[in-house]
Amino acid sequence: MNTAHIDELDRHEMRDGFVWRPVRRHFDIKAFGVNAYTPGATKQIVEEHTESELGHEEIYLVLRGRIRFTAGDDEHELSQGQLIFMRDPSLKRGAVALTDDAAVLAVGGKPGEAYEVSAWETWFVAAPLVQAEKWDEVIALHNEALAQRPDHAPLLYNLACTEARAGKSADAKTHLKRAIELEPKWAEYAVKDADFASISADPDFPAA
Amino acid sequence: MSDGYVIIDLNDIEAFPYHQRGGQKLLPLQRLTGFQAVGMNGWIGGAGEPLVPEHAEDSDNEELYVVVQGRATFTVDGNSFDAPAGTLVHALPGELRSAQSEEPRTIIVAVGATVGQPFSNPGWTSFVVADALRREGRMDESRAAIQEMIDLAPDHWGPLYNAACFEALAGNADEAFAYLARSKTFADPDELRGYLEGDTDLDPIRDDPRFPELLA
Repeated sequence: MNTAHIDELDRHEMRDGFVWRPVRRHFDIKAFGVNAYTPGATKQIVEEHTESELGHEEIYLVLRGRIRFTAGDDEHELSQGQLIFMRDPSLKRGAVALTDDAAVLAVGGKPGEAYEVSAWETWFVAAPLVQAEKWDEVIALHNEALAQRPDHAPLLYNLACTEARAGKSADAKTHLKRAIELEPKWAEYAVKDADFASISADPDFPAA
Repeated sequence: MSDGYVIIDLNDIEAFPYHQRGGQKLLPLQRLTGFQAVGMNGWIGGAGEPLVPEHAEDSDNEELYVVVQGRATFTVDGNSFDAPAGTLVHALPGELRSAQSEEPRTIIVAVGATVGQPFSNPGWTSFVVADALRREGRMDESRAAIQEMIDLAPDHWGPLYNAACFEALAGNADEAFAYLARSKTFADPDELRGYLEGDTDLDPIRDDPRFPELLA
């Protein structure tokens, strides 16, 4: 057994102004996705996004305060004790806090599939480290995630981006090459990606 | 609202007493939302009332309990602690857990699934709902809920057996025997016989001449 109050969880203030409270990581939950969000510098509390890529169903439950939730083209004001179940992964969703104390719990997973930790958690944790250009720590986070999922192309691609910016050209090319082998679409991204500016002219650049 | 989403207010939905346990009041979120990816249900209770039935997860689920409003006392493996709104409690499958409400209208939401396995709705919340509705004489709604259980596991004897019990208790012998006949086709004979011989739910039809045929 392990317990924590939502206000005791780590705070990761993201670029869009919302604060990610990593519930799943805190408890090392492996069976389902669950996180909490509170407002930060802006009133944003749930990042505007779809779940098309992951195919996740999601439930957002208001734990405190009031929010304005966008579901597709609709907007709804929700308060403590109200939830919205987003059945359709392709439906746009996001929310802004209407009160400073607002807190939202998000639960998600893909029907019919065992839960796998989403790669975006690594990127969320890494975001402030990227801002601070702490490349070794960003690389370590990606390697930690890849230890669990060695053939995860988006993680390999982002690792390559980081390594290129860190001046680790050989590692960057190795990991970019592997990402492209797994999912060829990453070659198209790589040729336009400024992260690879330092190596994109090299004759052995994998996306050339 | 579109077909792509559903909004629910936990303070507005009907709560169903879990009569087979301590009368804890279930908020059947899984059933109301149709969420298929993860198990999720709620419990509501007044001050001093039981909230979460004492149990370990024989389903092997790991669970997260969230105190949405009010205040609860959790007990996990004999250790009790205060849990005001906003508290998260993570419980591993073997841990014996329960919760009691300490304030009016305390609500807890429970989230659960098994590591490494797709979530599969076990249907127990439909049973709780069906049983509560039956006890209130709302048989049509009860039948709809029990049918949900049957649809979730059409080749399992248990839901059909439960449907038979409900019909027997409601005095509908023909329907009860029809369900028992279907249940028998999927059941382990010895296990089913044990239930048939000892289950008081079936007392209203026990003297029917068709009953001994089931034990044969």
